[in-house]
Amino acid sequence: MATHDTNLADRSGSLLQSHKNYQPRVVFFYFVTAVLLLTLGGGLAFQQLFNRDRHRDTERMQNQRRILVPGPRGNIYDREGRLLVGNRARFAVVLYLDELRSEFRREFIRIRKNYRDTGDKDLPSAAQMEQITRATVVQRYLDQVNDILHRAASVDRPDLMKHFARQLLLPYTLFDDLEANDYARLVEHLPVRSPLQVMASSTRFYPYGSAAAHTLGYVGVESDIDAEDFPGEDLKTFKMKGTVGREGLEKVFDTQLQGEAGGTIFRVDPTGYKINPPLDKRLPVQGKNLVTSLDIDLQRIAEDAIGDRAGTAVALDIRTGEVLVLANKPDYNLSDTSPHISHDTWQSILDRNALLNQAIGGAYPPGSTFKILTAIAGLRSGRLTPDQAIVDCDGGVKIGNKLFYCDNGRGHHHNIKLSEAISQSCDIYFYEAGRLITPDVLAAEGRRFHLDRRTGIELPNETTRMLIPTTEWKEAQTGERWFPGNTAQMAIGQGYVLVTPLDMACFFASVARDEVDTKPTLLHHAAAPVQHSEPIGLTPEQRTALLAGMEGTTLFGTSKGINALPLYHVSERIAAKTGTAQKSVVKDGQLGTINFAWYACFAPLEKPEIAVVVMLEGQDFVSAGESFGGGLNAAPIANLILKKYFAKRDHPAAFVQPIRTP
Amino acid sequence: MPPKRLDQARPFLTLIVVILGWLIVPVMVKTFARASFFELQAPISVAASYARDLQDYWTLRLHSNDELIEAGRDLARLNATYEESVQQNTNLEAEISRLEDLLKLPPYANYRSEYARVVRRDFSGWWQRLVIRKGKNYGIPVGAPVIFSGGVVGRVSEVYAYTADVELISSPGVRLAGVIEGETQPISFQGGINATFDPPKGVIEFVPLNVFASAMMPKKLVTSGLGGVFPPGLSLGTVTKVEPSADGLFKSGEVQLDPRLSSLTEVTVLVPLNPE
Repeated sequence: MATHDTNLADRSGSLLQSHKNYQPRVVFFYFVTAVLLLTLGGGLAFQQLFNRDRHRDTERMQNQRRILVPGPRGNIYDREGRLLVGNRARFAVVLYLDELRSEFRREFIRIRKNYRDTGDKDLPSAAQMEQITRATVVQRYLDQVNDILHRAASVDRPDLMKHFARQLLLPYTLFDDLEANDYARLVEHLPVRSPLQVMASSTRFYPYGSAAAHTLGYVGVESDIDAEDFPGEDLKTFKMKGTVGREGLEKVFDTQLQGEAGGTIFRVDPTGYKINPPLDKRLPVQGKNLVTSLDIDLQRIAEDAIGDRAGTAVALDIRTGEVLVLANKPDYNLSDTSPHISHDTWQSILDRNALLNQAIGGAYPPGSTFKILTAIAGLRSGRLTPDQAIVDCDGGVKIGNKLFYCDNGRGHHHNIKLSEAISQSCDIYFYEAGRLITPDVLAAEGRRFHLDRRTGIELPNETTRMLIPTTEWKEAQTGERWFPGNTAQMAIGQGYVLVTPLDMACFFASVARDEVDTKPTLLHHAAAPVQHSEPIGLTPEQRTALLAGMEGTTLFGTSKGINALPLYHVSERIAAKTGTAQKSVVKDGQLGTINFAWYACFAPLEKPEIAVVVMLEGQDFVSAGESFGGGLNAAPIANLILKKYFAKRDHPAAFVQPIRTP
Repeated sequence: MPPKRLDQARPFLTLIVVILGWLIVPVMVKTFARASFFELQAPISVAASYARDLQDYWTLRLHSNDELIEAGRDLARLNATYEESVQQNTNLEAEISRLEDLLKLPPYANYRSEYARVVRRDFSGWWQRLVIRKGKNYGIPVGAPVIFSGGVVGRVSEVYAYTADVELISSPGVRLAGVIEGETQPISFQGGINATFDPPKGVIEFVPLNVFASAMMPKKLVTSGLGGVFPPGLSLGTVTKVEPSADGLFKSGEVQLDPRLSSLTEVTVLVPLNPE
């Protein structure tokens, strides 16, 4: 017992001793520990309570991915509801890589074991083995497809690695643009639950090939699609390629035609593979359709008639300004632009200068078709009267120091009056008319008809190079004064005068309505109102004389031969004007003059419905004895358009065609 | 008390032990066990099928002589009709063959017909399949098309020594390329989700936009022959509904399948003569 007590005393003594050795520094340590714990706890509380939202967002951004799929573009129709541009299904066989996680892992282990078994010290790195694994597994699936389709394709390894790095959540395309047979074989041979699947996307479809190529335009690839109102803008997003309008209506109405992108939000695992089912999903929606004012029947007639020549034809609905035809040659096959334009195709288009929409993008001297404006300016200003012969045409006249000839008519026109001067396109009459009218009055009349500015049609790249010159303009541009010869040339649509074919079509549509302005449009509206603008201001007698001269062009004037031919004969009365303009150009390194053959008209004369302008560009330099002119070359094309238009109007049922679909 | 609790947990423990035991059993043993299960199950199904045949036989024996004579007469008439049809088919096949030669069309895969009796039908939300009384013993391969007088039945999914499983076209696991009769563009057909006693249905996808069909104006869906598995022109069902998809690119729709699929007793397996 004593021993026991002694032990207790020892123990208590040692405790007492240790208490006596108590160090104040330890207290400080406790204090520091407490502060640290408090800091830790406070920090934890701060992170958990106050930074909760931030961490939740960070976690969401780490764990979630967004995939955007473009919506198909809207269709484009002609005025009768026929499909001009649609969407064609494009089938591809794709491999869903995210479903191969375990297979990749197994293959990696197998490959690593094989390398180790070889005993080679120079083993590939883990990253290299990862690449080998991916290529091996994908090739295995590609071989399945090869067997079904009887092909022998190999994996494009750099492309595959790029896909892994940038688009892991998107399926990897093995074969694109499959034929119907291939698609059918894959549907029947591939197991339903396979990482290999047949997928459909859309590409532009052009049932009429090159028809109205410049007007319809083409689309290009767009990588930066956007899905409005779809959540997860801050998430890492994978985007499938969409399209964007590059030319024509596709460009101008891109916002309307553009489909609404769909999207899916997936949760992903730490290696980036998606975990099904998706957290959020929205289907893509097709863009809005566009109904154009074009009549594909007339369009194709115009394009076929122009053929291999360079030129343009424009037809307008006089009442509404709707464009029925906007044909340009040379052109290109729109089908060659979808799904993408190859380098060779693009080069060919550039070499042939086939991108130019001449109807709105080219400025040309209008030639004698401008004489209608000269006549109106003269009549309105009182310098010309219908029954007054202002000149005795003997085939030539000296203006200033230069002799000007009458290029139209086989002999002399003698004491010719306004109507006949228009029908016969007597240059001498209009040289004198120009002198009487004065250039500035003529220019003012041109501006009144809006020939000096863009029409505002819904197409890109409408030129601003159209020009109605004035004396001030010439002095400002060239430093030279205006010569009488300039007035003579201006009066017959030569010299500095430049217009677009669409300008002239609008001008003739305005003349047909007895007004000064026509706003062309490529959009069709069944109940489009009749356009109205300021009246021209001719007296009934003046207008009668003007129209008589224009009708005389087709009956006994410069285009009488064409309308007499059964192939081109139009039963309705036509008011027309021919023109043949010259322009100096550099071609193949040589300077020379080429002709532009014009024909502008409207019909029926009594109650005009359609205005047509055709302009053809001469292919060779003008030489003696050449007979390239508006009456001979351009008028037949216009007559074919008119003939078809009236045939459709009178017998609509005979022209009903099935709507083409992809 | 503790020993009593252990007694109560014994079934669960046994289950856990069995599961653990199964997990460590080699793959070869598992594969063998599975195959044996099906192979052992097959004779039972076949025996049941023969028993049903015997049952039918004795049922027929109970009919009067007059009834049997009448049935025999009807059968003879039916046979005569079939013989005429066979003759017409022979002529038509010769004509088709001549036209194919003339147009230099590629020949479709040739098949050997293997008629088989259905021994079991298995319809549920999970399975849509038949078991037929022929298997490897008649050279039936996996994937072979199976048809009946009303069109396509399905595809052979598993083959055993004396039996084979046929996955019906009403099963979501079957997909093939069909065409609307008279059209050329192939569309994807897949079995639908079918409840046990519901009329069988399928779904079609990638339907061109110019295809219209409704319950009032149904369209017939047939095999395209382009896929290389099924010969062309076999009936799949009737398209009773198509509606445009949201993306405006295609339509999708619903196909009513032949209701006789759930009461088949005889089918024909088309065994490819030159499998790819």
